[in-house]
Amino acid sequence: MNLVDSNQAQNNLMVSEAASERTLYPYVTGTSVIGIKYKDGILMAADMGGSYGSTLRYKSVERLKSIGKHSLLGASGEISDFQEILRNLDELILYDNMWDDGNSMGPKEVHNYLTRMMYNRRNKFNPLWNSLVLGGVKNGQKYLGTVNMIGVHFEDDHVATGFGNHLARPILRDEWHANLSFEDGVKLLEKCMRVLLYRDRSAINKLQIAKITEEGVTISQPYALKTFWNFAAFQNPTVGAEGSW
Amino acid sequence: MVVFLGFANLLLTISCNLIIYLFEQVMSMKFDTSGLESHHGMLFGARDELSSGLSAAPSFDIPNSNDFDCFQKEAIQMVKPAKGTTTLAFIFKEASQSVKKIIEINPYMLGTMAGGAADCQFWHRNLGIKCRLHELANKRRISVTGASKLLANILYNYRGMGLSVGTMIAGWDETGPGLYYVDSEGGRLKGTRFSVGSGSPYAYGVLDNGYRYDMSVEEAAELARRSIYHATFRDGASGGVASVYYVGPNGWKKLSGDDVAELHYSYYPVEPAVVEQEMVET
Amino acid sequence: MNSQQIYYIFDLCKSPNLSLSLSFITMAKQHARWSPYDNNGGTCVAIAGADYCVIAADTRMSTGYSILSRDYSKICKLADKCMMASSGFQADVRALQKVLAARHLIYQHQHNKQMSCPAMGQLLSNTLYYKRFFPYYAFNVLGGLDNEGKGCVFTYDAVGSYERVGYSSQGSGSTLIMPFLDNQLKSPSPLLLPAQDAVTPLSESEAVDLVKTCFASATERDIYTGDRLEIVILNADGVRREEMELRKD
Repeated sequence: MNLVDSNQAQNNLMVSEAASERTLYPYVTGTSVIGIKYKDGILMAADMGGSYGSTLRYKSVERLKSIGKHSLLGASGEISDFQEILRNLDELILYDNMWDDGNSMGPKEVHNYLTRMMYNRRNKFNPLWNSLVLGGVKNGQKYLGTVNMIGVHFEDDHVATGFGNHLARPILRDEWHANLSFEDGVKLLEKCMRVLLYRDRSAINKLQIAKITEEGVTISQPYALKTFWNFAAFQNPTVGAEGSW
Repeated sequence: MVVFLGFANLLLTISCNLIIYLFEQVMSMKFDTSGLESHHGMLFGARDELSSGLSAAPSFDIPNSNDFDCFQKEAIQMVKPAKGTTTLAFIFKEASQSVKKIIEINPYMLGTMAGGAADCQFWHRNLGIKCRLHELANKRRISVTGASKLLANILYNYRGMGLSVGTMIAGWDETGPGLYYVDSEGGRLKGTRFSVGSGSPYAYGVLDNGYRYDMSVEEAAELARRSIYHATFRDGASGGVASVYYVGPNGWKKLSGDDVAELHYSYYPVEPAVVEQEMVET
Repeated sequence: MNSQQIYYIFDLCKSPNLSLSLSFITMAKQHARWSPYDNNGGTCVAIAGADYCVIAADTRMSTGYSILSRDYSKICKLADKCMMASSGFQADVRALQKVLAARHLIYQHQHNKQMSCPAMGQLLSNTLYYKRFFPYYAFNVLGGLDNEGKGCVFTYDAVGSYERVGYSSQGSGSTLIMPFLDNQLKSPSPLLLPAQDAVTPLSESEAVDLVKTCFASATERDIYTGDRLEIVILNADGVRREEMELRKD
């Protein structure tokens, strides 16, 4: 039994002192991602901003990516960590393909893999600073799940990361239903993205929407939403807040 | 032609390895590609944490934190280990006697637990295994001295890592009754009477006052019970059930287990109140 | 980094004033720090009867004041006659469930039978303790039937201290439910001599009703409990499931 052998314990402590290249705080970050199930598959939306603290440093960051044949991944949080995740998944899909047995990983498998990757990194006190949304369709089964930087994960009919949890999910809980058409799904996502644009300071008006169905992944070209800034509360925000300026 | 093919094959292998090697360098992450190879050498040779059910126990996971102490402090606060205890044990003419929160190590040895409940429980369980292994290897039961030293050595190894154990090992071996106090700071004391835990000062008060070496089993049991009861009475963190065990030449025996709330009424019977004035309906 | 600096890495919950007053020590402190733990809430209850066991948990998963999911099952089947309900940090709970499932699979291959509930009870205790210095932030109750077919409940702390009891509650609503169960069932302590049976005197349907009442009440006052109640009943006939809607606010 190793129980008495605390040398091993001590050694581990030593190692931890030496190895200290970790993400202790994020540098370039992306904000919310929203994903919903609809009639034929999954829809996902994310804007293209890359914030450097409170500076909008990048404006064409693609945060929705397809993974293999059946999955779509959206990420918020540290962009460089997201890119590392993509490199890992590329390798995963490559090795999966190398079996050449006609089988391929579905969204459930990829989500599970991501879950273990995120949790393992938090166990090493070296987290991947992201919240991920993974959606996909395989064998007529729709799948939509999420996982965050410490490994908390779940499936649902609609999911959102970051601010989306506060601003978009209440709308989704109100208006979502399983039979949404593609057009209605996009409208619903745009409604959510517009609210986020108004109230999330890191959100920008350049977004992509992606869909995944049995046929495969389609990621839209970047586009902007129509906005209306003449709401009374926007024009004179201090009304009803006496003493403020 | 044949030579050429062989050469090409070799080249492919080298470049593949190179690619995999590079991936490892960059991502320090490795995929299990053993299935892609022809031989399955791992089938019976797999020795990982999970499959080692019978042999070695999995080793402890240590957090990869820059500051272990502070992490422990925080983590312990989160898990709120169960504590708040009074335990006592003493040796008298006929045998040794110990009370409350007792773990049965083997038919001849008991351990009391005070401090972190999980720490006490786990290491006593571990001690039980070690004592049994000693018995199987040497064809004789381990001495109380030996057993307590096994535990003390283990705890000393983990000193400073936040374990919280205050225990008494009481038992009967070839030399008669044995009683040791062992704690997670590395202390190990031989003695004739101890009390451990948050309520121990109260228990000592009663115990030291009533202790004699030449007590009968009944007297000793009553002294132990009374000491624990009074400790639970004054110590807010102690309470519940007071168990009394007796360890003699033929092993231990549980003598009693009483709810201290009920003991209260046997020590302080409720006197019928004298009614001075009765309310009468007018 | 000195130790004081690092101390605050794991200290997201402390009052912001305290953190602010120390922020001049280093610029790094203005950045968001991360904690390897989260509390995703949830409440679990298990009651043992003479020939049955009831295990129940709500299906809400939260973080802070947000609800992440209204339909996340906290109950996990570990063996034919053994269920675990867990609350706390969801990622740790999931890791724990996976370890136990793997260990149980190996057990089945080695012994050609299902693990008994008391055996699983000790396995869970050891599994939790092996993470003593980096604990699973998981609060579990294990419910099932023992080899005699009697209901059994094991209750745990996060580092593996455990005890066989007649009933138990764990998680965010346990402070509301436990005293209520004590009041209604008060099973005698296993330490008492002469020993008294720890199982509850209730019938199976009475126990299920009691569980429903518990959760309906806990949901009123605990914000981390709600949405839906999942109840699993184990008896000689096998496994049965019941559900009840709970408040969603």
